[in-house]
Amino acid sequence: MLSRVADSLYWMSRYIERTDGILRMLKINYASSQDDLLDFSWKPVLRIFSYLEEERVQEIAKHSRAVLQFMVTDKENSNSVLNIVTHARENARSVQDHITKELWQCLNDYYHTVRDEQLVKLLHREDPITILDVLIKQGLLYYGTTEITMARGEGYSFINIGKFLERSVQSADILDVKFSDKNYDFDKTDATYWKYLLLSISGYELYLKTYRGGFDAKNVVEQIVLNEDFPRSIVYSINQLHRYFQRLKSEKNIQAHHKVDFMIGKLKSKVRYSTVETILEQGLHSYLEMIKEDLYEIGTAFNQHYFAYS
Amino acid sequence: MQTSELLNKYLVDTNTWDEMYKNDSVREQYQGVVEFMQELSVEELNRKEEMARKLFMSQGITFTVYSSGEGIEKIFPFDIIPRIITAPEWNYIEKGIKQRLKALNLFLKDVYSDQFILKDEIVPIDMIYSCPHYLREMHGFPVPHDIYVHIAGIDLIRNSDGEFYILEDNLRTPSGVSYMLENREITKRIFPDLIPRNNVRPVTEYPNILHKNLVSLSPRGISNPTIVVLTPGIYNSAYFEHTTLARLMGVELVEGRDLVVDGHRVYMKTTSGLQQVDVIYRRVDDEFLDPLVFNPKSMLGVSGIMSAYRKGNVAIVNAIGNGVADDKAIYSYVPAMIKYYLNEEPILKNVPTYQLNNNEEREYVFSNMNKMVVKKTNESGGYGMLMGHTATDEEIVRYKAEIMKDPRQYIAQPIISLSSAPCYMNGRLQPRRIDLRPYALCGPGGIEIVPGGLTRVALREGSLVVNSSQGGGSKDTWVLAG
Repeated sequence: MLSRVADSLYWMSRYIERTDGILRMLKINYASSQDDLLDFSWKPVLRIFSYLEEERVQEIAKHSRAVLQFMVTDKENSNSVLNIVTHARENARSVQDHITKELWQCLNDYYHTVRDEQLVKLLHREDPITILDVLIKQGLLYYGTTEITMARGEGYSFINIGKFLERSVQSADILDVKFSDKNYDFDKTDATYWKYLLLSISGYELYLKTYRGGFDAKNVVEQIVLNEDFPRSIVYSINQLHRYFQRLKSEKNIQAHHKVDFMIGKLKSKVRYSTVETILEQGLHSYLEMIKEDLYEIGTAFNQHYFAYS
Repeated sequence: MQTSELLNKYLVDTNTWDEMYKNDSVREQYQGVVEFMQELSVEELNRKEEMARKLFMSQGITFTVYSSGEGIEKIFPFDIIPRIITAPEWNYIEKGIKQRLKALNLFLKDVYSDQFILKDEIVPIDMIYSCPHYLREMHGFPVPHDIYVHIAGIDLIRNSDGEFYILEDNLRTPSGVSYMLENREITKRIFPDLIPRNNVRPVTEYPNILHKNLVSLSPRGISNPTIVVLTPGIYNSAYFEHTTLARLMGVELVEGRDLVVDGHRVYMKTTSGLQQVDVIYRRVDDEFLDPLVFNPKSMLGVSGIMSAYRKGNVAIVNAIGNGVADDKAIYSYVPAMIKYYLNEEPILKNVPTYQLNNNEEREYVFSNMNKMVVKKTNESGGYGMLMGHTATDEEIVRYKAEIMKDPRQYIAQPIISLSSAPCYMNGRLQPRRIDLRPYALCGPGGIEIVPGGLTRVALREGSLVVNSSQGGGSKDTWVLAG
């Protein structure tokens, strides 16, 4: 497979995963803004998910609609859903001969959906959850189409590597929204927020089945970081990343493969042999930062060994 | 047949051949379609038009216009009423194009080797050497199977007497074939059952024939040669076509930056190292193909590809330097070439063409400007063209001055009235001018033309310019089985 094609498939996939992460994160935060207006602020969201200057952050932090507008449809925001979906679609456009026609059409439709002028108006006037759900569903359609129509070759591996690398980062970011505040009190029962968070990443039912009782921040952390059966957990994503990366092994680039494999394996062990106690001891925010750092390094090495084509 | 609302006010211009109407009655080949349309209400037809638009949009059959940093998706306008060609008409066209291409191929071979046609003074030598597309780099290099033109898009028009004329030969990188294929797919969706009921010949073989020909050109005698389509990239307006062709043939779509030349061989950069490339169907113009030989500023090409080509290690399709044969000034010599190389009378006629570097012909053209269309010999897409009957006096004066700077770069032709065909507009059928571009494929086994082509249509009332860059659209083109 052409390096350029592999690169585009990988980024197409990362961008859609990022879109999904951002939309889900917006959904929880919007929902919780409706419950607890006094305490709620969009500041952590804006700091983590955008490059907005602090001044502007202060300005719109209390205005949900303005934040949604900025994060979803703003052309100037390089991390807006509009821009990320456009990137995903541009990447797909340049590899149409490597993805199925269904997958291309699905992404192309997603692109036309976020570009629809109506969306801006609806986001202003209607229930934002409905709009976010429409977009999230377009993403689900993408996942299903990939799963059902794409051949299980090299391209599929690159798509999954992009997807799970990005998902690990997104899951760390979503958790970090609350904990980037270093004084966060782990004994406080932030029940509404945790409930929305789990609901938005489809982890609510699993949480109830695993922990029965009420909401405990520690349990939430445990599920999102360490539960191997939860498809959005960091450990699950890294396991999958490793699984698809191993499929790329071939005689021709054994050295490069070994280097990256070592890095992923090391991170995998780090997460696997953590417990919620050791994490909290280190400090959740610093732990998440460490994981993200490792993920970025893996991304860079991967880029260097597999996509360096120009 | 009774005239319904749909056909109301279908006014054919005098002195124009209409594809549907003859003496106020519908020609036989159009009757099936007209009857079918008349059973539909205006609402249904509008819905079908909208459905066609949505299908184009959602499948990404679009080109992107970049303005103020933002890409806007545009559809090449599509008219839902098919253009119909009868079996005898098609047989005639097919024979004529095959004859013409045979001669043009021989001409290219000759002009890049022995140059008999120049020595015998059939084509004047200075015509060749003054053509910017004549490439000395190609001289004395035998191309595989002596084929220069592997893919040709020959533009035909129909004069008021119903006779087909050749308007232009496109022998470099003719585009539009994906619209021949996609327009048909759209028609199948918006008018279910209409195609089989009318006995329309399929066009689906095109990518298979093209692939078969490309495989046969591989310089290495291996069973599974690597074939690629070379595109300038996603910003090219024909990008959709490049990706469609690669997908339909199941071959790799590459950009210049994906390729590298080493030891006079072309390789593509893959995730598991370099892989040798055997055949390149390039959609990059000659000028940009190799920065070491042609335009040194080109970012679209591959350094060293010409050396690999000349060594015979890679086949390039179409051959380089074909522009000398589709130059608009050379065009007028094609009938002479047919006689010279094949000893046959040309089947398809040329439009009379005046060479503006010939003093007498220029005098004649200048005194009859309002009956002429003047074109630049090396432009395509309808750029740099003057339509004498609509131009203002001032425009004509300015254009004449332009011509005098370098008369070799211009030719003039009497304005030919293109035939008209019905288009669905504002709830009824209206005649609009059309042309026809069938796509011919030449391989070692001969010339094949899929029964169909691209019908371009001038959507503006009264307009004679069908180019997409000048407000043209397209139609599905039906060739009926005999």
